[in-house]
Amino acid sequence: MNFPTNKHLFKNSKMTRDLIKVELDIVFRDVLDDDSISLSDSTVAEDIEEWDSINHIQLVVQIEKRYKIRFKAAEIQSWENIGEIIDSIIRKLE
Amino acid sequence: MLFHSLDFAIFLPIVFFLYWFVAKKNLKLQNALIVTASYVFYGWWDWRFLSLIIFSTLVDYSIGRRLKNEEKQSTRKILMWTSIIVNLGFLGFFKYYNFFLDNFIAAFSFFGQEIQPNTLNIILPVGISFYTFQTLSYTIDVYRNKLEPTEDFIAFSAFVCFFPQLVAGPIERASNLLPQFYKKRIFTYEKSADGMRQILWGLFKKVVIADNCAEYANLIFNNYGDYNGPTLILGVIFFAFQVYGDFSGYSDIAIGTSKLFGFNLMQNFATPYFSRNIMEFWKRWHISLTSWLTDYVFTPLAINYRHWGTMGIVSSIFFTFLISGLWHGANWTFIVWGALHGLYFLITILFTRGKTPKGIVGQNSVLPSLKEIGQIVLTFLLVCFSYIFFRVDSLSHGFAFISRVCKSDWNFPDFEGRLLALQIIILIVFLLFVEYAQRNYDFTLDLSRFRSKSVRLVVYISLVLLIIIYWPSKEQVFVYFQF
Repeated sequence: MNFPTNKHLFKNSKMTRDLIKVELDIVFRDVLDDDSISLSDSTVAEDIEEWDSINHIQLVVQIEKRYKIRFKAAEIQSWENIGEIIDSIIRKLE
Repeated sequence: MLFHSLDFAIFLPIVFFLYWFVAKKNLKLQNALIVTASYVFYGWWDWRFLSLIIFSTLVDYSIGRRLKNEEKQSTRKILMWTSIIVNLGFLGFFKYYNFFLDNFIAAFSFFGQEIQPNTLNIILPVGISFYTFQTLSYTIDVYRNKLEPTEDFIAFSAFVCFFPQLVAGPIERASNLLPQFYKKRIFTYEKSADGMRQILWGLFKKVVIADNCAEYANLIFNNYGDYNGPTLILGVIFFAFQVYGDFSGYSDIAIGTSKLFGFNLMQNFATPYFSRNIMEFWKRWHISLTSWLTDYVFTPLAINYRHWGTMGIVSSIFFTFLISGLWHGANWTFIVWGALHGLYFLITILFTRGKTPKGIVGQNSVLPSLKEIGQIVLTFLLVCFSYIFFRVDSLSHGFAFISRVCKSDWNFPDFEGRLLALQIIILIVFLLFVEYAQRNYDFTLDLSRFRSKSVRLVVYISLVLLIIIYWPSKEQVFVYFQF
């Protein structure tokens, strides 16, 4: 699945968030090798057994690759849940 | 003050009484009592070392307050680094000064430069590695905006010096422990009884298992030249259960004692010797240190070097294990122990593609599968091999020990006191049996599934009797106090 790259689409609307969430579902299922993963804004690492500190780094790298963005280290360490990751992605793409 | 001493047996009921009966209506008074009791508990070793804890408390409390009102990022960074330098400075001086100096001297002499040694006779303050990491996590979390800095100095002091976990952990996070000092604690029979059960199991592990295993581990390691290979291997296994009984026993007593005062500490051990690979072992062994190192060493490193690909992850993992080794002691033996676990961990990732076995051993059955038994035995053997370097005094001692295992004859283990040793082995099997049966519970002596009171009573009385019968003739301090 290719995510639309038109800059104007990246507004912090519910539709944009849902689209990114669908994309993140694919990234997470791929990296964590678990097709049952279905993310929500409130999902945290403790909710998914395979989401450990090492896989977390792989997830960050894959998200950055997919959206061609680069997060700051402090930003990555501030994330508490999926909702905050989506917020960061939207900020980078706006 | 040791947990299994007469001093503590007098100290604990006095503090318990004052806490619940005299200061019970006043939260601040309760917290002040915890601070006073903790300082007495710590000062029992050496009053002079209290100055270090009090200084650390003042520094981190003040820096936390400054961080709250500071928005300029560069100043925030300076404040955080001030805390890191002060805390690690103390740790570095007291724990590593002579180690680094000796190695510098050796390095210079290797290149033909003779330097006059000026080592100092430094006494290592008990538990400095534990409370240093605990206070550091507070400041770093405040800096990262993950934690609201406290304005309650007494609560913060109590968080830093809380006596049950002050000298050997669990290394608590401020986000878990500090808020518990803000809220009124309510005495409940159930929680206190759970605390007593956990203390009882901790005492069993420390007094019956660890201290008796220590007798044989010490005998065999100190006189390794006199024994054959199988005896030396048995010595390593005794040491494995000494360390486990000692450290997890301490953690159980710490967590149980905290419950008596209405507090919940994090779990520190989760049946680590039933781990099916090294990655799982590190999720179950000394959990509070592993999670600390993961959050404050591995993750920042791996994030910074994430674009190096595999090399970035590999070097971050290996470096974290080296730090873990060095944290345990200022000796190359601990660094080799850490490096071995780093290697084990990386090789395991390679073979398993980073997948830790799911759930717990024997998840949906009574007994583990044959495959799981094989995995558990292999993991335990790898851990035992690393323990050789954890236990010996020097690398040369370690290599000589391994060489002796390989070269000596392979007859039946032969050493003094084999009959008592056999009893200890049976008790180790009992320990493993109980921990396996109770592996799905937060703590081993959670016997709530047994409805019959008499069954539970028999277990408690048996454990008390075992503790009395096998109380060692020589008092053994906790292994982890030296760290």
